[in-house]
Amino acid sequence: MNILIAIGGRKYSKPTLDLGMKVSNSFEASTTIAYVGKKISQFSEKDVSIVHQNLDERQLYRPGVRTLEWAYNFLKSKEYIQEEKVTTFNDYLLIDEEQSRMRVLLKGKHSNKINLILRTGEIIEQLRSEVQDNDHDITIIGGGNNKGMHHDLVQFIDSSVLVVKNYSVKKQYKILLPVNNSKGSNKAIAIAEQFAKANKLAVEIVTVLENKSSDDKLKKILERTEEKFSNAGIKNTATVLEGNVVKKIVENAGDDSIIMLGVSPKNPIMKYFFGSKPISIAAECNCPVLVAK
Amino acid sequence: MQDSYKIISSSILYWFSQKKWFVFSIIFALIFISLPTPIGLSVPAYHSLIILFMVFILVTSEAIPFPAIALLALVLQVLLGVAPADVVASSFMNDAVLFVMGSLMFAIAIVHQGLDIRLAKIIISIFGKSKRLFLAGLMVVSAVLSSFLGEHTIIAIMLPIGLAIIKNVDSSTPDGKNAILLVLFSIAYGTIIGSIGTPSGGARNVIMINYLQEFTTAERIDYWGWIQYAYPILIIQLIVAYFVLQFAFPTSLDNVQVQGYKRSIAKSNSATNIRHLFSCLIIGFIIASWFLFNQELGLGIIALCGVLIFMICGMVSWEVINKNTNWGVILLFAATISLGFQINETDASSWLVGKFNELTSFFPEDSSFSWSFMAILTGLTANFFTSSATTSLLGPMAIELQPNDISFGMSAAIASGFSFLTVISSPTAMIVYSTGLVSIKIFFRVGLLMFSSSILILYLVSKFYWVTL
Repeated sequence: MNILIAIGGRKYSKPTLDLGMKVSNSFEASTTIAYVGKKISQFSEKDVSIVHQNLDERQLYRPGVRTLEWAYNFLKSKEYIQEEKVTTFNDYLLIDEEQSRMRVLLKGKHSNKINLILRTGEIIEQLRSEVQDNDHDITIIGGGNNKGMHHDLVQFIDSSVLVVKNYSVKKQYKILLPVNNSKGSNKAIAIAEQFAKANKLAVEIVTVLENKSSDDKLKKILERTEEKFSNAGIKNTATVLEGNVVKKIVENAGDDSIIMLGVSPKNPIMKYFFGSKPISIAAECNCPVLVAK
Repeated sequence: MQDSYKIISSSILYWFSQKKWFVFSIIFALIFISLPTPIGLSVPAYHSLIILFMVFILVTSEAIPFPAIALLALVLQVLLGVAPADVVASSFMNDAVLFVMGSLMFAIAIVHQGLDIRLAKIIISIFGKSKRLFLAGLMVVSAVLSSFLGEHTIIAIMLPIGLAIIKNVDSSTPDGKNAILLVLFSIAYGTIIGSIGTPSGGARNVIMINYLQEFTTAERIDYWGWIQYAYPILIIQLIVAYFVLQFAFPTSLDNVQVQGYKRSIAKSNSATNIRHLFSCLIIGFIIASWFLFNQELGLGIIALCGVLIFMICGMVSWEVINKNTNWGVILLFAATISLGFQINETDASSWLVGKFNELTSFFPEDSSFSWSFMAILTGLTANFFTSSATTSLLGPMAIELQPNDISFGMSAAIASGFSFLTVISSPTAMIVYSTGLVSIKIFFRVGLLMFSSSILILYLVSKFYWVTL
């Protein structure tokens, strides 16, 4: 499994890195930490590139490398990375792999498979391209209050997306798992099972009935999921909710849940113009949310 | 089947989300083309204005690559009957375009020589007595060099010096953060302010010289003539900028390491010394040629001579120049200059000026009003559209406001160099922003003060000093 963790400034990236590495370790995944630098205007892109080459030659840090250094040291301090040999960040190589992507290679050996990547440009475009070129299964990104960005992330990134909103390293979380009859929901169940098992988290399985003919089917899926988690030895509860799906899930999640749900099976064009329930939940909730694809 | 349908529709949606401004500009153009031509405007003139607006939308949104915008502007001029293909082709290349090309290549050749260490030693030996004096020195040297060699060259040379001296400053404390900003802004403002000083300081200056020659009967302004107009503004701006920055970023400069940096660059070898000496001779020769032969040879050809000498002497390879030259920008400038010529040739600029005069007829008849409007308009537009493109498109209109008074054209070109407000306005601003140490908000906040005072300085100098020239 490949996991991509996108980081920006140091101030907001700690929770993203922490939760991101917990997810990554749950799946024993290969992890890429990507810093996406500011978008450069076409007018100045060559000038900026010349300056950055100059900075490399003078052994001055290229923008973004300091953030990756900080991220690397943070992961080491939290023991997410175990080094076989002491490595300092002063000894690194920048490999220009393709336009707007650079790999930071640290000399020395690491037991974990961690890639450090520098990218420059518009964030959605860069993450989409990173996911497409390197087959990442989950993209993890910090969540601000930018609802438009949540929409675009879920809509255009071709992997499951975990938006780390309002996450505190010290808080005890449960997994909130809304289930339905979609393909994405099955994927969310699989991810939640693995993550809960690895981190010993309780799971609250819910389904929301909307007075439709599919209600009986949803109840059966809820029962089946509950059984699956119980058999796996995961502490869980199963609840049937009624009413507006978005409102009920957001209310139930509060700020101490990690919501894991499947992507909407709706037509992408309809989703783009009219939104979808997972997109609305990601925008409105006050906790981390994973939309599985 | 359903999955492939989803993949295709998702790809189309993604394309649309990235290119929406391109789609809107096409829709906009189709709607306006289908409307009747406004009274007093010929069809080619009307179409040239529609293309102008399309180019404006596409450049500011960067919805498609710059070379594509350039080609679109050229193709549309012919397809919409603005001018025949031969006329469009001949207006595509002139000395201003050669200058853009030459100055970009010349900058690459100079930066490749590693002159920053040499320059740092000189600045430290002259201004190294105190940290504040050193910063003032950085600003002045950046301004003087940028006025001759262009801001994109000088920011590339000066930024490593600035970043080296702030390497150990702790950005988490307010004092440290202010020290970092003070150093970076001193260099940035020095290079931005300097670029108005001589014709070779920025492509917009050369574009305006060409327009003044083409569209007015006034005597051609030469290299020295431009300096007489612009350098007093540059000097006053530098003084104002120094105090604005000290006020905006109060700091003790405790961890800024000027002497530490001096020790780290103390070593040098004779091979580098010879290379630097040759580079300085070539640069000096080119600047002298700009002074002496700009009328006969044109600034663009002289800049290209500089590149040629560097290449023939083996001091820079074609591969390096080819890799680092922004060909898209050269094409775009060529296309916008060509469009600027057609806007003037078709009398679209006269029509716009007439409309402007109609709109302002209720104001007292005072040229100061139209001057201020044009200076502020070009200054603001340049902050969102870059200075050279602004001058190439709004320059003809500025000249048309007072065809017998070159101060309107000069003011428009100089005001478009006041790129203090946004990070997209100039290479300097974008390079400083790309370090990740300067935010858009801070750039705007300090820039607003600098922009307003620069407009005021320009007004006062044009009103009281230019009339004496």
